[in-house]
Amino acid sequence: MEIFRLENLSFTYPTNALKALDSLSITIESGDFVVVCGQSGCGKTTLLKMLKREMSPHGEKSGHIYYNETELSEITEHTAACEIGYVVQNPENQVVTDKVWHELAFGLENMGLPTSVIRRRVGEMASFFGIQEWFRKATSELSGGQKQLLNLASVMVMQPKVLILDEPTSQLDPIAAADFIATLQKLNKELGLTIILVEHRLEEVFPIADKVLVMENAKIIAYDEPREISGILQSLNTSHPMLKGLPSAVKIFSSLGKTEGCPLTVKEGRNFLAQNYSNDIFEMEASPFSPNSEIAVELHNVWFRYERDLPDVIRGVSFCVHKQETYCILGGNGTGKTTTLNVLSGLNKAYRGKIIINGKKIKDYNNNELYHHNIALLPQNPQTVFLKNTVRDDFTEISKVMQYDSQQQKQEIEEVTEQLSIHDLLDKHPYDLSGGEQQKCALAKMLLLKPKILLLDEPTKGIDAFAKETLKGILQDLKSQGMTIIIVTHDVEFACECADRCALFFDGEIMSEDIPREFFAQNNFYTTAANRIARQLYPKAVTCEDVVSLCLKNEVHHV
Amino acid sequence: MKIFSSYHPVVLLCYFLSVTVMVMFTAHPVLLAEALLGGICFCTVLERGNQFFRNLAFYVPLFLMIAVVNPLFSHNGMTPLFFLNGNPVTLEAILYGIDIAVMLVAVMYWCKCYNIIMTSDKFIYLFGKAVPKISLILSMALRFIPLFKIQMKKVSVAGKAMGLYSSKSRVDKVRSGMRVFSVMVTWSLENAVETSDAMKARGYGLKGRSHFSLFRFTARDAVLLSLTILLTAIVLTGTGLGSTAFLFYPKITHMSFTPFSVVVYVAFGVLCFLPFLIEVKENMKWKYFVSKI
Amino acid sequence: MFKKISIYIVLLLVIPLVIATGTMLFEGRRFVFISLVIAVLSCVPFFLSFEKKQGNTKKMVVIAVMIALSVAGRFLFYPIPFFKPVTAIVVITALYMGAEAGFLTGSLSAIISDIYFGQGPWTPFQMFIWGFLGFFAGLLAQKLIKSRFWLCAYGVLAGVLFSLFMDIWTVLWKDGGFSTGAYAQVMISAVPVIIIYAVSNVIFLFILAKPIGEKLLRVKIKYGL
Ligand SMILES: Nc1ncnc2c1ncn2[C@@H]1O[C@H](COP(=O)(O)OP(=O)(O)OP(=O)(O)O)[C@@H](O)[C@H]1O
Ligand SMILES: Nc1ncnc2c1ncn2[C@@H]1O[C@H](COP(=O)(O)OP(=O)(O)OP(=O)(O)O)[C@@H](O)[C@H]1O
Ligand SMILES: [Mg+2]
Ligand SMILES: [Mg+2]
Repeated sequence: MEIFRLENLSFTYPTNALKALDSLSITIESGDFVVVCGQSGCGKTTLLKMLKREMSPHGEKSGHIYYNETELSEITEHTAACEIGYVVQNPENQVVTDKVWHELAFGLENMGLPTSVIRRRVGEMASFFGIQEWFRKATSELSGGQKQLLNLASVMVMQPKVLILDEPTSQLDPIAAADFIATLQKLNKELGLTIILVEHRLEEVFPIADKVLVMENAKIIAYDEPREISGILQSLNTSHPMLKGLPSAVKIFSSLGKTEGCPLTVKEGRNFLAQNYSNDIFEMEASPFSPNSEIAVELHNVWFRYERDLPDVIRGVSFCVHKQETYCILGGNGTGKTTTLNVLSGLNKAYRGKIIINGKKIKDYNNNELYHHNIALLPQNPQTVFLKNTVRDDFTEISKVMQYDSQQQKQEIEEVTEQLSIHDLLDKHPYDLSGGEQQKCALAKMLLLKPKILLLDEPTKGIDAFAKETLKGILQDLKSQGMTIIIVTHDVEFACECADRCALFFDGEIMSEDIPREFFAQNNFYTTAANRIARQLYPKAVTCEDVVSLCLKNEVHHV
Repeated sequence: MKIFSSYHPVVLLCYFLSVTVMVMFTAHPVLLAEALLGGICFCTVLERGNQFFRNLAFYVPLFLMIAVVNPLFSHNGMTPLFFLNGNPVTLEAILYGIDIAVMLVAVMYWCKCYNIIMTSDKFIYLFGKAVPKISLILSMALRFIPLFKIQMKKVSVAGKAMGLYSSKSRVDKVRSGMRVFSVMVTWSLENAVETSDAMKARGYGLKGRSHFSLFRFTARDAVLLSLTILLTAIVLTGTGLGSTAFLFYPKITHMSFTPFSVVVYVAFGVLCFLPFLIEVKENMKWKYFVSKI
Repeated sequence: MFKKISIYIVLLLVIPLVIATGTMLFEGRRFVFISLVIAVLSCVPFFLSFEKKQGNTKKMVVIAVMIALSVAGRFLFYPIPFFKPVTAIVVITALYMGAEAGFLTGSLSAIISDIYFGQGPWTPFQMFIWGFLGFFAGLLAQKLIKSRFWLCAYGVLAGVLFSLFMDIWTVLWKDGGFSTGAYAQVMISAVPVIIIYAVSNVIFLFILAKPIGEKLLRVKIKYGL
């Protein structure tokens, strides 16, 4: 039975001449798990918002949306509010009240249910989502992951028939993200809930989806079962940008030139390898870490807490990063990675320990010296760096602060926009951009600062695989020009591909650090999907390329 | 958690209203003294140990200041004690100064207790019954403030890291404050509108909104409420009948000690010490349980 | 309509009744009582009429944001005493969102900021004065938006009024009655504070009115408020 049907749906924002959605026509079956993917700014969020009447943006719409055979604009307010649940892209923005329990009850209050019913439903949901422990807390005290869970729970109490989620795991660490997805799968399987989900990290959601919808430039280019997607994209263009975003199993499979019976999950991938390839050759050439002798950043036994009577967040962190090195810090939510970056860039003051930047103690830098062509930090939330009404004004302001003359100013801005291909965004208001576009513009702003040491806090969140590839290229360029880069990320694959060394942050300090190959080969959970697929055959293979090259070698070997 | 704060918000509001209103508007020394002592005791059990002395360090000078300033400026009264710069300093003015000082400090202590006990969720709950929309605005504002404080920190730090106005000069500080504030306005307005969409998306604005809370009205709430009402009624009757009338000017009235006025004093004393007694009783009960374990 | 009338009847009856009993009961300190009751009750009609209106969720959220901003601003400028953006924010909200929104932002800011800085008998007075400063700014919106001079003049006036009004309360509160002598004395000691109030209002209005106004307008257009 169909639940949503779109007919020729188009949409244009009032401040933007281009269409954000261009004649979409699809049918979504009841009980399906639909994953929507596509490059940043292709209109995914816009599409989801069109499906939820109350969220529909202001603008010019044409075409039809049918919900259960009725035009969406004609269903009753009650149905529209209660049967379609929506979880927004930024978890902060959905929270209405100041207490967790009240947040859970909010939707039910609106439905006018009596206290006894609310009590029961809230209790049940809180137990299902494991919210009991922080049930009475203030919503402002929750971590990002908890907020996302709360948002899901507070929509679920209303017992919707359709659940729409916009990048719900973008800020979660890999383990929490997997848990979240598993919860969604459970809701879909056990309650028969229809789920429509936007994601950039397809590793986990792709295999469990019933249908995958791929968008490009406001249009739908594929809508089919996950197994078929790779084929469809390849038939469109053999090097289609979206191919980069597919799960490792699919990527390995298609790189090996196979066509029939594509594996999706890690398990299927593992079976596929075991059946088709031997492990006569399993060693990877080791490329030992050969650091530049100069040390750019050194932390020595650093301690930090936010307030006197709060517990320590950083407990004796020590590490050093060499010049021209890319250093990736991974770790769970709320362990203190962002805090470490802030301490390291002098924005929070450590109460014990030594921090040395470019051979000089951080205390000895005065005023702006530290931030002038020295250190730049891309904060976790890109919205914090925008000060002006257009992206261009923002860039100009920063060039002024850096005291470039007007000729140089133009040239620098030109260069950066070229690199990140954000030309179209320059004259927009920063808050009119999609999540991924904001991320890119914020990064561009940091690059304009031309620092010697670049600190990036989750630079890949909300951007698609292709843009990630671009970012990787840019970082490599910068590195070869002599820049030192420290990245905090939840994106294991990204860390694996662009880091010289990776480190795991846990319990207030760096627990282990190593070159990516060793680092990920040793971990069980904090490791790439490619490694999990291949580890029984080739324990040291961590990227898809590794696996593919080993497979090919073994194939040749056999013959 | 303190046991008194676990009573139903309506009961708590009634209690605090009746005590503070009577303290604020009476001038009778006995009633004021009772209120002051009751307030101090209550406040002491609510707060941690050393806070008691910190409070004293703040309130004693305040008390003295008010008590001393009044006779210096007010020359009403019939009993001059001595002359200062040619102006009479009267016994009545001195006593009245002390009386007012007791009253002000008592009100402050009670407000302190009120602020500890009446957390924002109780406050919102009370408001929500009468004016649901306003209470939702309050609730949202209460949620936004810590959020904005955190975000403001982030914005100012991000600005600093880009080398914007981070010198230590005064002008730069104010300018940076203004800039942060202006960024905050954009950020909060843009994101808040999404919040309002999310509210509507969850059915806000449908007909017949109900009101949920974790608070439940139980038997002990009923007991405390009736006790409060009874005691308040006694005191108010006494006040109405004039048995607690007390004037300082032009001449101090005699304190009345008729049986009824004594009943009123006792009633008000009980009212003021109720929370303290409840807390003490609870503590003893715990000690008893612990000793049995 | 019937409801509206009944509200007014209740108000017309309740105010005198409460005042009469209060005066009888609390003879010595009746002025304090009366002033408090008036301060509280004069906010009630605004609240009730807002409650009765068909809801505009976006407007509510915008008011909540402005309240939170004004209180957060109090924290932001914590190091500089009396130099606070609250009045300015209330006035700006009133200019662009109307008199009612101005009143609500003002009076609710008082409640919220006192939840943080301590509630007490002064809260109703702050509600009253900030509420009405917002309300009148909303009524004068056209003039004030056009001319910066009048806007700054309003800022000065607001600072002075705020201080004078709160001083009346101080005097009533301490002495139980109003005497010009005591009032003059309190006022003189408050002159530096009045000046800071006025100056800070002017500075904040001068710097913030246009940018915040533009932002409010942008939100109004973008989301069709
Ligand atoms: N409020 C708005 N006003 C004008 N243009 C907008 C607005 N919101 C989004 N856009 C534009 O519409 C296009 C689609 O945006 P949308 O948010 O749907 O992208 P998305 O696919 O969700 O991207 P992301 O993956 O980065 O979140 C983008 O080019 C964006 O710049
Ligand atoms: N401003 C603050 N005041 C008090 N505590 C804070 C503050 N910021 C963060 N914390 C606490 O410090 C701890 C570490 O936070 P931090 O943001 O550094 O984590 P993180 O590792 O970056 O997490 P995530 O991966 O979710 O971004 C958390 O427990 C958090 O609650
Ligand atoms: Mg999006
Ligand atoms: Mg972080």
